[in-house]
Amino acid sequence: MRRLGSMAGLLLAALLVLSGCGSSFPADPEGTLERVRGGTLRVGASMNGDWVRISAPGSGELSSNDVQGTEAELAKEFATRLGARIEWVAGTEHVLADELKHGGLDLVIGGVDDKTPWVTHAGLTRPYTESRDGRGNIHKHVMLVPLGENAFLLELDKYLMEVKAQQ
Amino acid sequence: MTDVRSGGAVRFGHTELPAEQREALRKAAKLEWATMGFLAVTTTLVFLVLGNSQAMKAAWIEDLLSFLPPISFLLASRVIRKPPSVDHPYGYHRSTGVAHLVAAVTLTVMGGYLLVESGLGLLKAEHPTIGGIELFGSTIWLGWLMMGVMLLTAAPPVFLGRAKMKLAATLHDKVLYADADMNKADWMTAVAAVAGVGGIGLGLWWADYAAALLISASILHDGFKNTRAAVSALMDKRAMTYDDGEPHPLGRQVDTYLRSLDWAADAKSRIRDEGHVFHIESFVVPAGGAMPTLEKLESARKACVAMDWKVQDMVIIPVAELPSEFLPGPTSGGEH
Repeated sequence: MRRLGSMAGLLLAALLVLSGCGSSFPADPEGTLERVRGGTLRVGASMNGDWVRISAPGSGELSSNDVQGTEAELAKEFATRLGARIEWVAGTEHVLADELKHGGLDLVIGGVDDKTPWVTHAGLTRPYTESRDGRGNIHKHVMLVPLGENAFLLELDKYLMEVKAQQ
Repeated sequence: MTDVRSGGAVRFGHTELPAEQREALRKAAKLEWATMGFLAVTTTLVFLVLGNSQAMKAAWIEDLLSFLPPISFLLASRVIRKPPSVDHPYGYHRSTGVAHLVAAVTLTVMGGYLLVESGLGLLKAEHPTIGGIELFGSTIWLGWLMMGVMLLTAAPPVFLGRAKMKLAATLHDKVLYADADMNKADWMTAVAAVAGVGGIGLGLWWADYAAALLISASILHDGFKNTRAAVSALMDKRAMTYDDGEPHPLGRQVDTYLRSLDWAADAKSRIRDEGHVFHIESFVVPAGGAMPTLEKLESARKACVAMDWKVQDMVIIPVAELPSEFLPGPTSGGEH
């Protein structure tokens, strides 16, 4: 038990030393937020009702005008805040979640709710809005981000909470 | 059966507790209730901020497991008060050992499970994801709340543990001892969890699993230690002190007294720990091969019972020579 204490202490000491080195807290292990800021935000869009509408699916490079819907607008606004341009990728949730898991995307939208099975592939933002389906069940909507990219996630959460407050 | 709080006579089976032990039992019960109250608050708080941190999950499960020793103690301290019956002539003292074993095995299983789960997470390099949370209108990193809650819950168990440790000695209660021992080390779990979450904050995703592995290893360690202690107690290991540190000095005391009797040539006892009280069989070789009178036997037994509250269930057996097959080793005091 004493060994556990000293090891935990050591870990804590290392943490304090490292945290003195500046940089953001929380930080991204893969540096997503830093890369996206002033660069490119790679957004996976999955068609779903009013959340995401894609007017020219499967016809090469998508432009921002091709992707519409409430969540597409949120992604555009978020990219603007970060001074980033969006690189759109259209696909099913399955394909996009897999791409997210392997670092090919920074954000996936498509009316995903917090009961999504993709928690093994992606991190979830906080629910920012609710919808009610035909059976009367309430869905809390989230967006998908790469696992463990916590600075990027926190930035997006902050933005979505502002959106939520304005609703 | 008398209630602990009534202040009247309290019995463990047919053993009536002396005032000091009665007071210790009352305090211990109070402390265990306080522990459970504290745990109810902390497990709720930690659950609310659990997030995706494996270290937090391990710490939370450890908190949940910490309910077991107090529950074991409180349950057992009721059951052992039953007087011996036709079906249970030795009384119900062993319920302490049974409760101890159940708690210990649970610790072992959960510790092992968490160790494997944390190890797999580390191997699969699943980066723990912790985002923001709304607090008083602004969005902050949930990790700060996690660390805050863990630090809040770190200190109180240490004080509870220290207080229980003293009572465990007075009551000769090994479940209370194990509980106190775990409480005293509880702050390390909190520190480890804080380090794990802090590591995530620094972008060191593996720090979370490292912390979780440390915590699971400590649960597993507690589990093994307690299982061993509980099993050896149920296997009638010779009576030891409450912390299993050394053979209980009562053995030597009883033998020394019996040997000092004018009618005894030699004496040796075997003593098992029934939970709180001892069960003693003393073999005495009468001097000159002459049987002592019933009065002498009876007064010797009474003198032994008067030595300590734990001595009650005692028999003295006059024998022609000490049966070495029942009494291995040089003395029952435990010297080698």
